[in-house]
Amino acid sequence: MTHSNKIFAAAILAAAHLLPASEAGAADMDDAIYWHVQAEQLEYRAGDGTDVVAWDANAWIGNDDHRLAFKSEGENPVGKRLEKAELQFLYRRPVSTFFDVNAGIRHDLRPDPDRTYGVIGIQGLAKQFVETDANLFLSETGDLSARLEAEVDWRLTQRLILQPTTEINVAFSEDRRTHSGAGINTIEAGLRLKYEIRREFAPYVGLHYERKVGATANFARDDGEDTDSLRFVAGVSFWF
Amino acid sequence: MKISQDFTFRTSIRSTAVALAVLAATTPALAGSGQPGHGHGDMPKQGHMMEGMKMGGHGAPGHHGAMAAIGEPGKAADVTRTIDITMQDNFYEPEEITVQAGETVRFRITNKGTLLHEFGLGTAAMHAAHQKQMMVMMEHGMIEADRINPEKMKMDHGDGHMMKHDDPNSILLEPGKSGEIIWKFTKPTALEFACNIPGHYESGMMGPVRIK
Amino acid sequence: MRRLILAALAAVLLAPATARAGTYDLTIGKAAIDVAGKDQTAMTINGAVPGPVLRFKEGEDLVINVTNTLGEDTSIHWHGLILPYRQDGVPGISFPGIKPGETFTYRFPAQQAGTYWYHSHSGMQEAIGMYGALVIEPKTREPFRYDREYVVVLSDWHPDDSPHEILSNLKMSADYYNYQQRTLSTFVDDARKMGFGPALADRMAWGDMRMMPSDIADVSGFVLLMNGKNPDQNWTGLFKPGERIRLRFVNAAAMTFFDVRIPGLKMTVVQADGNNVRPVPVDEFRIAVAETYDVIVRPTEDKAYTIFAESMARTGHARGTLTPEMGRTAAIPSARPKQFLTMADMGMAHGDMAGMDHGSMKMEGGHMMPDGSMMKGMDHSMMGHGAMAPKSKDDPFYAPGSGLMPKAAEGGKFLSYADLKAFKPLYPDRPAARVIEVRLTGNMERYVWSINDVKYSDAEPIKLKFGERVRFKFINETMMTHPMHLHGMWQILDNGSGKNNPAKHTISIAPGTTVEADIEADAEGQWAFHCHLMYHMASGMFRKVVVERETAEIAR
Repeated sequence: MTHSNKIFAAAILAAAHLLPASEAGAADMDDAIYWHVQAEQLEYRAGDGTDVVAWDANAWIGNDDHRLAFKSEGENPVGKRLEKAELQFLYRRPVSTFFDVNAGIRHDLRPDPDRTYGVIGIQGLAKQFVETDANLFLSETGDLSARLEAEVDWRLTQRLILQPTTEINVAFSEDRRTHSGAGINTIEAGLRLKYEIRREFAPYVGLHYERKVGATANFARDDGEDTDSLRFVAGVSFWF
Repeated sequence: MKISQDFTFRTSIRSTAVALAVLAATTPALAGSGQPGHGHGDMPKQGHMMEGMKMGGHGAPGHHGAMAAIGEPGKAADVTRTIDITMQDNFYEPEEITVQAGETVRFRITNKGTLLHEFGLGTAAMHAAHQKQMMVMMEHGMIEADRINPEKMKMDHGDGHMMKHDDPNSILLEPGKSGEIIWKFTKPTALEFACNIPGHYESGMMGPVRIK
Repeated sequence: MRRLILAALAAVLLAPATARAGTYDLTIGKAAIDVAGKDQTAMTINGAVPGPVLRFKEGEDLVINVTNTLGEDTSIHWHGLILPYRQDGVPGISFPGIKPGETFTYRFPAQQAGTYWYHSHSGMQEAIGMYGALVIEPKTREPFRYDREYVVVLSDWHPDDSPHEILSNLKMSADYYNYQQRTLSTFVDDARKMGFGPALADRMAWGDMRMMPSDIADVSGFVLLMNGKNPDQNWTGLFKPGERIRLRFVNAAAMTFFDVRIPGLKMTVVQADGNNVRPVPVDEFRIAVAETYDVIVRPTEDKAYTIFAESMARTGHARGTLTPEMGRTAAIPSARPKQFLTMADMGMAHGDMAGMDHGSMKMEGGHMMPDGSMMKGMDHSMMGHGAMAPKSKDDPFYAPGSGLMPKAAEGGKFLSYADLKAFKPLYPDRPAARVIEVRLTGNMERYVWSINDVKYSDAEPIKLKFGERVRFKFINETMMTHPMHLHGMWQILDNGSGKNNPAKHTISIAPGTTVEADIEADAEGQWAFHCHLMYHMASGMFRKVVVERETAEIAR
């Protein structure tokens, strides 16, 4: 099987905007290429400290076995300079019924100075429908860090969803220049109430809590920043 | 009257071969009815049987009730005409019959199909009732698609009731078998001849008996 | 009688001359249909959905010229017909397909009789209108009689999403179309019914599997059609009271199983998948995608009757009317409560959920023994109530306790596969030379469907030796019902009827069950074999079956 060729072809086709609806008959339909773009969070955060516009988005293209993925998340304090902006370019393939591995590159435009990381991670649906994403990052300066994210959709009705989320960032060494200490450095938790007008489009409101801990908290205090913040959020999630 | 009834029973037994013979041997009442001039209490003795199984509905066939309206078992001596009926899967040849009121007809019936078939005379309502009974017999394995199950036929069905298929206006024939019914059509009525084995009537194995 | 013959003769003479010649011209194109309150573009055969009823006579040659006016390739597959494989109409397996602007002539003898159908086998064209019924009249008298007949094509139409969008949505989010998911309020209901603890345990059990009991149909939002008409448009057939009517039901839907009934009328099933069966009077029957059933009804009263075909998932219905005169209608039954899968459908019928996970759900639910001994097994609970205790009413072709267990709406008899007995077996009974395991597998979350865990594009063909009889052992390891269709050869369903096991072109295998069927490999060539649910087929539940003569092996 020339899987690498197929995925390469997929990338080219995507670039050329030539994705055809399958015309080949039943024959190779099961190997068709699909793509989707998703903004899981595009939201305004207000409360402690400066208001922030934050995003968490991703996209993928490929067949069942091989996908190219793109992820991005970041925060932009209103009226200020971009504070956090992260891009990931990943190759993704299934490793079990419910899990995929991701491998690729992460590049942080912010905070300054920008950093490039190698990424390896596992992502999928854990028991009780918990969406999980666990990644290891090795930076260009040799610093190893990890991130664990989890979220679950609790349906109150067929369209109203309560979505708790959590994220923990851990560094195995200090990176002074990015103000990241060793050990657990940030914990985030969110609770969003979404209403799916369509599956593809859901406005929401909620709470977002973020806390810097350990050495990272010290860096923040040195910079005169708060170490924790609780904000109300309002935003939309959508995909196409 | 009695004699002709006995005659009908006898032909039933012969035509359905072993099946009803076994039934007859193990059912004192029917055994009696199978021997002319012997044990004339034949109808009442069926009190312990599931009366609903009779094509004539409640009561003894040929004596009263619905049966009277459709005619009565005929005497061999009175037969003025013989009609040959062929059973196929799942239809009859011919598809309709015309008789005269008052006429006694001998139906000579041959099963040329591969399935078990019935030839019964009755009204549409009688056939509908009988179809339900035949369905029960089929579910209980007393009759199978292509044969009568003699063992099941003679079994006690749990509540002291026996089922059987032995009406004078009806005959059940296994593939390759043949038999007769002698029937006196008394007056013009809407009659049908039909096979009430599950699905057969509905498939069109029925036809009108036109009484002129 | 004479009048009847004259009427029949007139009908024959008035019918299009082409019908008797066995030649049809079919044009594949696009046309607007209005079944969802607005004009929408369908792919059509001769401008209509469904396409024309094609009628042939057993023994004559079918000659069908198919002209493609689309901008893409197309094809027509003759579903259930025994034919040379190059005439079977599957692009990439039987022929290259029909290019835009091209006319392809199919030509083959009609070797069989009965109700069949035809549809595109290119892409997902079938899901947007490319299907129709095909009837072959027998040379000899049929084992039933009727005064008039109607073809009743059931199908589904998605008014919002194209097939490609549907599949894409499912790949993105497998529960995209599931609006019967478990919510807080269903939990409260469950807790009220079964208690908080058990309700929570049930939630956790499904959560551990990461599956949803409401996932019966994968796709919702269909408008369900009867002969191309939605329930309001009310397809209508006329009759005279007392007439016997033959209804030729065809399920041409992409994804929808129908439970069919006609309140007030008993239906007698006389044919299944084109082959005559011993007649079975029923009150309701389930027709899987791609199956056909012929029933005879005899309305004696001067009134209208509703033909009600409710989807198995209870998401909607198709509806039509049989009436003595135009304009009269009968009551439309109300929808039955939604159905939900149970642990039995997950292959966990035996109550012990401990230690079970998705990977080990391989228990054999409704295994039919070749001698039908399952039936005996099912009677155990009845023993002791007298030797003649009635059989359990549960359909042995569903896992005991299945949430899909058929039950007639108004009571009475619901057809089971166990009731289908070949009227005249097509093949002498003989033991199969070998068993081929066909595990029906899939990954709901990724929306990838497969056979033996391998999807079509990664799979080797199944090879059969010409002349051998093999047994397919279908083991459904998924929570979906899969109507498995083999092209070119019959699948002789082992339902315990021995030599009268019925021959079918499509066998529906319920979740958590194992079903066996024999195949007489008497058709040389290469054939398609697949789940007939459109989006299962299109996502990999498909195989090529190659039937080769052994001499060919030697020659090579």
